[in-house]
Amino acid sequence: MNRKQKHMLALISILALTFGIVPNVNAMHIMEGYLPGGYCIAWGVLCIPFLAAGFLSIRKTLNEHRNLITLLAMSGAFVFVISSLKIPSVTGSCSHMTGTGLGAILFGPSAVSILGLIVLVFQAILLAHGGLTTIGANTFSMAIAGPFLTYAIYKLCQKCKLNKRISVFLAATLGDLFTYCITAVQMAIAHHTDTTITGAMGKFLMVFAPTQIPLAIIEGILTVLIVIGLETYAKPELRAIGFLKEGK
Amino acid sequence: MITIDKLCYNSGLRYENAGEKFAFAMITLVLCVMSRSMVIAGIVLAVMGILTVWKGRIPLFRYLHFLCIPLVFLLLSTLAIIVNVKKEPLDLFALQLGNWYITGSMQGFLYALQLILTALAAVSCLYFLSMNTPMPDILMVLEKLHCPKLLIELMLLIYRFIFILLDTAYYLSTSQECRLGNRNYRTSLKSFAALCTALMIRAVKRSNALYASMEARCYDGTIRVLTEDHPPRKKIIVLITVFELFLFVLFIQRRFFL
Repeated sequence: MNRKQKHMLALISILALTFGIVPNVNAMHIMEGYLPGGYCIAWGVLCIPFLAAGFLSIRKTLNEHRNLITLLAMSGAFVFVISSLKIPSVTGSCSHMTGTGLGAILFGPSAVSILGLIVLVFQAILLAHGGLTTIGANTFSMAIAGPFLTYAIYKLCQKCKLNKRISVFLAATLGDLFTYCITAVQMAIAHHTDTTITGAMGKFLMVFAPTQIPLAIIEGILTVLIVIGLETYAKPELRAIGFLKEGK
Repeated sequence: MITIDKLCYNSGLRYENAGEKFAFAMITLVLCVMSRSMVIAGIVLAVMGILTVWKGRIPLFRYLHFLCIPLVFLLLSTLAIIVNVKKEPLDLFALQLGNWYITGSMQGFLYALQLILTALAAVSCLYFLSMNTPMPDILMVLEKLHCPKLLIELMLLIYRFIFILLDTAYYLSTSQECRLGNRNYRTSLKSFAALCTALMIRAVKRSNALYASMEARCYDGTIRVLTEDHPPRKKIIVLITVFELFLFVLFIQRRFFL
């Protein structure tokens, strides 16, 4: 083995190690302090109209039906808990669901935007996933862009009279992938030293693809199973949640 | 269940004024993120780490373990920043593959190094806040900062419900495990979905019961909780101000005079 081969071997083993003993694969939270100050503020500002709309719609619903507040809070806690549970994964590393896709299908996207913000704050403080300065960017990708796309695809598939399972799967998987693409865009805009923005975006997409694409597919399958389970066993509960959605 | 939540209730700094801790962590965090200088990041990382481990009495290995949580994200994204695929090699390293090079530049490497340090320092600020301040105290500070009332109330309720649901999820998963629910990949997927379904049903049932019981106790839209009052201490405020001013001067000097 010459020197170059040795270097290659070292590089490959480092790669294998990082992917092999990955302690924790999150659903792509941008970590604390990773974005420069200007971008943190910009993404935060971009979220404000969506959050304001979500806030107003929640307030309207609650003014009409005061008793829905506990249901809303339970839904938020539910999203947090399923995003903190370890899901079965192929590689043996422990990974987590985003949960916001399922939330969007169950509770509608505008409620999820506010719930998602709260869940992200709790994830940052209690689980150390994500961070407080990057909360704007994370909210945009995980609580706004992803759920809105999920909901749009879900509604579109319903309009086209597609099979329910397929439409839920498509909505959840594509919503998850969209979240991951947005995150890559956010990082590429902030960090591109040696290449252009598109080049940097390609690199971020590529580096996170091995963990994120299987995760999105698993999340899609799980969401289908959960929605079917709920439709089988929890018709009355779903009706109560539907109330939450209709309020807007 | 949630380790950070347990740690912060036993922290040595728990009974300090929450506003002080919040302001200290937030101002330092903002200065650290805005400046993006390695010196400031180093100082912040050291100060926050020492304060959390020594004053907050958080076990050192626990703390180090928590610092490793974002490591995967850090490694992968740093890899994406340093490594380029280009037609012409850059100055730091280059591996030839046919007509292309896997290559990186010194500038990119320095940039990535600075980014890692800043991010770790920022995480240490976040940990200082979260490992020394229980959630209800943080919510109290947010309330003083005039965060919308509805939002605070939702956060308070969600915070309480999280533990109820986590407990339920724990029991469900234990009983699934007992019944060979995770025998192979297929069953474990199915079990996970069943767990979430059961969790949702319990959550909805529970929320109805809870509302009824709150109503019975005269719930009128606000949950009033008694807060323990720990007035801010002058000495600590002075210390915090001096530290932040020092960081700020350093930030200005690095930004404009270097």
